[in-house]
Amino acid sequence: MPPFLLARIATLEDPRFTRAAHAAQRSLTAFIPDHLDHGRSEHAMLPRLLHQNETGVRGMINRAISDAQGVETLPGVLVRAEGDAETGDASVSEAYDGLGSTFALFWEVFARDSINDRAAPLEATVHYGKHYDNAFWDGRRMVFGDGDGEIFDGFTRSLSVIGHELAHGVTEFTAGLVYRDESGALNEHVSDVFGALVEQYRRGQSAADASWLIGEGIFTDQVEGNALRSLKAPGTAYDDDVLGKDPQPDHLDDYIETLDDNGGVHLNSGIPNRAFWSVADTLGGNAWERAGQIWYDTLTGTSLTPRSDFAEFAAATVETAVARYGSNSPEHEAVIGGWTLVGITTAG
Amino acid sequence: MWRSGGLLGRRIEWDVVVDDQPDADQWYVLINELPWGECSTTNTTPDRYTYGIRCEPHEAVIPEQQLTGPWRELVDRVRDASERPGTAKQTQGTTIDDQNG
Repeated sequence: MPPFLLARIATLEDPRFTRAAHAAQRSLTAFIPDHLDHGRSEHAMLPRLLHQNETGVRGMINRAISDAQGVETLPGVLVRAEGDAETGDASVSEAYDGLGSTFALFWEVFARDSINDRAAPLEATVHYGKHYDNAFWDGRRMVFGDGDGEIFDGFTRSLSVIGHELAHGVTEFTAGLVYRDESGALNEHVSDVFGALVEQYRRGQSAADASWLIGEGIFTDQVEGNALRSLKAPGTAYDDDVLGKDPQPDHLDDYIETLDDNGGVHLNSGIPNRAFWSVADTLGGNAWERAGQIWYDTLTGTSLTPRSDFAEFAAATVETAVARYGSNSPEHEAVIGGWTLVGITTAG
Repeated sequence: MWRSGGLLGRRIEWDVVVDDQPDADQWYVLINELPWGECSTTNTTPDRYTYGIRCEPHEAVIPEQQLTGPWRELVDRVRDASERPGTAKQTQGTTIDDQNG
């Protein structure tokens, strides 16, 4: 039985289902897939944020949304805890629902129990700062500004942005990719991949039907653009008089050397982003099922180091594709093809 | 002053001519009391901004979350000045070549 169903049964309070609930709880406690534990014992950041829920039952979401009330102080005032009713504040509802959708992807598809796979609470703060035009992951919580009203509207309205921020937490607890240069661009890439997958999974969209955009809908009407980034076509997300043109490269030949943005982490992520889109497009169907599984296995496996570069990451995805689907499988071939498309040759 | 990073990874620059400011004396007092050379130069928090401030002969690169006290006051002053015509300007969407030139 899928773990998410076990989790639902485990929480049934109806006395008619007491026996089933207890059985499900026992199953969940024992359910820790081998591939989820790779490398964890070596991760330096594990000792914190490990507040497993009191029952020990896996797959129980625990959200907490706080309101910074227009100042740049964290965490702000708690306004909605898990199970609380809506507050009437759209940003709070969007954050709460978005965290739920992100948790659902990781748990229902990858059997990952929150960002640390140990039931860490999902915490977010909305209304951060005055006209604050950004969203970020601070190592503990997702933080969302309301936007400046000129370029950005509120950031919580994009599910892919919420998924992107939470995925930074997952990366922190797994591969720990250092946020600079190529490993930093891979950190960004992983967040874009899972941000896109959260949205596709929520909408039930296949790879062919999906927009592959990150941050669709967060620009104001004054901006000529669709989103922050496009995995399918890096460099085409916006072209605006004020913002300029989307600078993302879609091939290794166009890798941007810069001191800004931690070495262009939000720019050069376009290269692996397009490789992932290619893999998903080649395989068809739902991107979270095979392409997403390969990337998740890679992120949580033992091949990556915190300083992995594009070539090492690509080789790791090939290795994990072979491990899960076999040598010369369609998945193996698709992964090689995706990296070749963006100029990265893998040994295959 | 420049800012890079953020969810979009975009660079913005602000230029201020201090002598043209109506309260130039206060600007100089603030600039001279800043702890130049005591700043961290990297920001490893995903999607956060990094600020760079150059005021000859001084230069500092500061993660957004360390902008407190006089640093915060200076950044706010620069941004406010850029919204007044004539004494400062803001440049958005600077090209990659310009950034490193």
